[in-house]
Amino acid sequence: MDFESYDVLVVGGGLAGIRAAIAAVEANPRVRVGMVSKVYPMRSHTVSAEGGAAAALGPGDSFETHAFDTIKGSDYLADQEVVEAFVREAPVEIIQMEHWGCPWSRNPDGTIAVRPFGGMTTWRTCFAADKTGFHMLHAVFQTSLKYPQITRHDEAFVTKLLVEDSRCVGVVALDIRSGRFDAITAKSVILATGGLGRVYAFTTNGNICTGDGMALAYRAGAGLKDMEMVQFHPTGLPFTGILITEAVRGEGGYLLNKDGERFLKRYVPNKMELGPRDIISRAMTTEFEEGRGFEGPHGKYMHLDVRHLGEKVIDRKLPFMRELGREFLGIDIVTDPIPVRPVQHYMMGGVDANISGETPILGLYAAGECANVGLNGGNRLGSNSLPECLVFGAAAGRAAAHYASSARPVTANPVDAMLWDEARRVEAEYLEKKGGDERIGPIREEMQREMDAGAGVFRTKEGLSRLVRNLGGLRERFEKVRIDDSSRTFNTEIIAALELDFMLEVASVIAFTALAREESRGAHARRDFPERDDEHFLKHTLAFHTNTLAPRLEYSDVHITTFKPQARSY
Amino acid sequence: MTTEATAEATTEAPAAPREYSWRMPANWWTRNRHYFLYTVREFTALPLALWLLWLLVEIRRAGDGPARYAPHSSTAFVVFSVVVLAFALYHSYTFLTLAGTILHFKVLDRPVPARLIVLSQFAAWAAASVVVAFVLIWFAHE
Amino acid sequence: MPDKTITVRATRFDPERDREPRMQSYEVPFTDESMVVLDALNHVKSHIDGSLSYRWSCRMGICGSCGMMVNGTPKLTCNAFLRDYWPRPVVVQPLNNFPIIRDLVIDMDDFMHKLKSIKPWIIRKQELPLGAGEHRQSNEQIDDFRQFSECINCMLCYAACPVYGLNNEFLGPAATALARRYNLDSRDQGLKERLPVLGEAEGIWECSFVGECSVVCPKGVDPAKAIQQTKLDTTMRFVLPYGNRE
Ligand SMILES: Cc1cc2nc3c(=O)[nH]c(=O)nc-3n(C[C@H](O)[C@H](O)[C@H](O)COP(=O)(O)OP(=O)(O)OC[C@H]3O[C@@H](n4cnc5c(N)ncnc54)[C@H](O)[C@@H]3O)c2cc1C
Ligand code: SF4
Ligand code: FES
Repeated sequence: MDFESYDVLVVGGGLAGIRAAIAAVEANPRVRVGMVSKVYPMRSHTVSAEGGAAAALGPGDSFETHAFDTIKGSDYLADQEVVEAFVREAPVEIIQMEHWGCPWSRNPDGTIAVRPFGGMTTWRTCFAADKTGFHMLHAVFQTSLKYPQITRHDEAFVTKLLVEDSRCVGVVALDIRSGRFDAITAKSVILATGGLGRVYAFTTNGNICTGDGMALAYRAGAGLKDMEMVQFHPTGLPFTGILITEAVRGEGGYLLNKDGERFLKRYVPNKMELGPRDIISRAMTTEFEEGRGFEGPHGKYMHLDVRHLGEKVIDRKLPFMRELGREFLGIDIVTDPIPVRPVQHYMMGGVDANISGETPILGLYAAGECANVGLNGGNRLGSNSLPECLVFGAAAGRAAAHYASSARPVTANPVDAMLWDEARRVEAEYLEKKGGDERIGPIREEMQREMDAGAGVFRTKEGLSRLVRNLGGLRERFEKVRIDDSSRTFNTEIIAALELDFMLEVASVIAFTALAREESRGAHARRDFPERDDEHFLKHTLAFHTNTLAPRLEYSDVHITTFKPQARSY
Repeated sequence: MTTEATAEATTEAPAAPREYSWRMPANWWTRNRHYFLYTVREFTALPLALWLLWLLVEIRRAGDGPARYAPHSSTAFVVFSVVVLAFALYHSYTFLTLAGTILHFKVLDRPVPARLIVLSQFAAWAAASVVVAFVLIWFAHE
Repeated sequence: MPDKTITVRATRFDPERDREPRMQSYEVPFTDESMVVLDALNHVKSHIDGSLSYRWSCRMGICGSCGMMVNGTPKLTCNAFLRDYWPRPVVVQPLNNFPIIRDLVIDMDDFMHKLKSIKPWIIRKQELPLGAGEHRQSNEQIDDFRQFSECINCMLCYAACPVYGLNNEFLGPAATALARRYNLDSRDQGLKERLPVLGEAEGIWECSFVGECSVVCPKGVDPAKAIQQTKLDTTMRFVLPYGNRE
């Protein structure tokens, strides 16, 4: 029988996914790799990363300091042997990207230049002007085109993982253009589906960041780790949520409150603008509450001021920021301060995976933002995520290729039945349902508002309990959802419904795990438990799917090797 | 193929969705100033070529001796020639402006600005015209 | 004061139902000066008609998926402000010169093939081993190709190009710009492998310099320049016995 089957199937065409696909082929040139993505790979949200990618490259740097900065930044929730492996691999991956054509900005001697970044004690962030993610993604995608072993399925949406005898054997994907359901089978599957920022209203994440991979793995029985750890970036543009990169502060920009004061001196006096994101976001929120923010049509904001850097530095190092200011705000950052406020940005939590990307489900791997390999703990340092996608994407690709070379082939029989069931489910729930009276848009908007209110920068028991209740109500409304679009051709409304289904799932996990962590650590700040509690919570939260909205929670130990937890001050 | 067979059993999705093929409307060149200028430029090549052909014929006849050389001097032909000259200038203008786009030199490791290149092209053009005119007049005197 | 609204007229086409595209009008609240055309489409989809289909993701002008014709001009809809059109209606159509899959969604497979055909990756006679570190490259050497590396594959230039509209075999602006991006990269040695594709009859020579591609490009790539420079390059290589760089 002619079977559409791969050795390795990568779900996701972002930096992590493409890196994994190439690594699988380079590990074993006979491996057949499939790559499914719900958008053309170069549209993946990696494209919007601006600031840079950290690696201890330079002579003045060391693996130990990069590891220590990362671990301290994580508020000691990172698994230290993972961090140690990461900092050693990161420089190799940066060089690999250079060989693949990434136009890294350079030093006068032609070597790769670095810039300072928040939470890093030394200059170690490599950058391609302020379009780092864009250049990395296009370089790695264009490079992937030269491998005949990689077959792409662009604009195909994965709705379910095929799991047989607790082994993952592929996915069910909806081909968006034709509306057809396909079973794409494989001996191993790598999830690289990116973040979930769209569960929040105010986010830097694009429309495609809906936590699909996390929900897929969760429903298939894998654990989700540390899902309460959601990063808020201090400097998003009001209204759009467009990110103003941390590199603006790295290059010397000031954060000013409405009195023109560099207020961070009260919060992170030694690091000022280069403090870590969680602390600066809380500082800004506190200043707002105490009446020292500017008031604008889209809420409170602060000024991010780069006027003193001068036009030359701005054009060389931050040209995209100038472009964004001009295009989206009608201001010139050379002469005007930029209005900013904290914005949801990154998910530290994700599919529980080990250092090779293996999940507890045989044949299922995860990498990139959708995974939690234990690198970021309670707070990711800026510019650690792009190298994370490279290092752990490559690791997962190699591990999956290796596993596939000895795994037994996938058989048609149960797969057929599973495909049939899944296609029926989606048809019945969305296409053929009669009489529902709820719309997707309003439910999604309400979920986003609830998440902003209940699971934002500061959290309380009351707020989270209300959030849990309201998400339950939204889930009930979602059961009655009606779809206007009955066409099968490029039906983006079905996609929106499937995404909302996934988002309600992961939003609930965030709410429940946040409620359960009764301490403040990293990005998780509880008003009612303001202190870190190492005695009870120096642990990873693991959430497992149940038949109710509430997950089953387990806790596992954090791996501590070199650096003992200390008070975290900057 | 399994997947397709199964898919057929489950959904009625058309095998290959029909697409709507876009065609250029006949009046596309009227929709935008650039398109219009471009079309004009392309069409002016025709009269230009005719005029040049005519010139060839004249030259050939001049070769047979001054007696056979009888250039047109009707007003119509003079007007035609002036119009064609305008067209030729338009072509030269586009061509020389393009040079700024195409050519890239470096002097002392700094790229020469496009405007400077264009300017130098026009200067060279003017100089060449002067030389040609001078030569023609010189020969006419001989 | 009555709430401000703006009329959005959008192309609708469902191949399962329509023989050809038609236009549909929607009245959208224009509540904020910073609203863009994409916000208006999102309002329609969330609150008026969920069946309207279009692509988008980053809404910050970098993913390249939201290109459409806005009042007849190719634009990124996340970067086209309603205030520039109001109080007149804004007409949104799929990008010209591409087959229409559905509503505002075009088929860009053709470009994906062309992109691959120009070998958009670093080609070297001898790979530098990873252990040898990075290739040395100065910021000035990057400046040589920087402009052409900024292409977000948004297809606005193809929608503006009448030559591509008349003959879609033409390699076209963005693909040529990307070929040039690699040809000008000091790390690359693949010029000889790319020239045959560029020099084909349907390659760059089809271009008759309309120049509109560079006018509509939202990222300042100037693909017209790339095409003209490539023409000169290929000619010089033909005329002169030596190449520029190996
Ligand atoms: C504005 C912004 C700026 C940033 N700046 C930096 C920075 O300067 N430095 C840094 O280190 N990090 C930065 N980050 C973080 C970093 O960019 C991301 O964490 C990282 O790019 C994620 O890459 P990824 O490959 O995991 O996911 P993505 O690039 O998001 O890719 C996800 C892929 O999965 C596919 N997919 C998802 N769901 C499905 C499905 N159901 N079916 C099929 N395919 C699916 C998508 O199509 C896509 O191809 C930034 C993030 C943002 C939002
Ligand atoms: S060259 Fe410009 S207009 Fe053309 S695809 Fe690239 S970015 Fe878009
Ligand atoms: S939505 Fe990404 S470019 Fe407009």
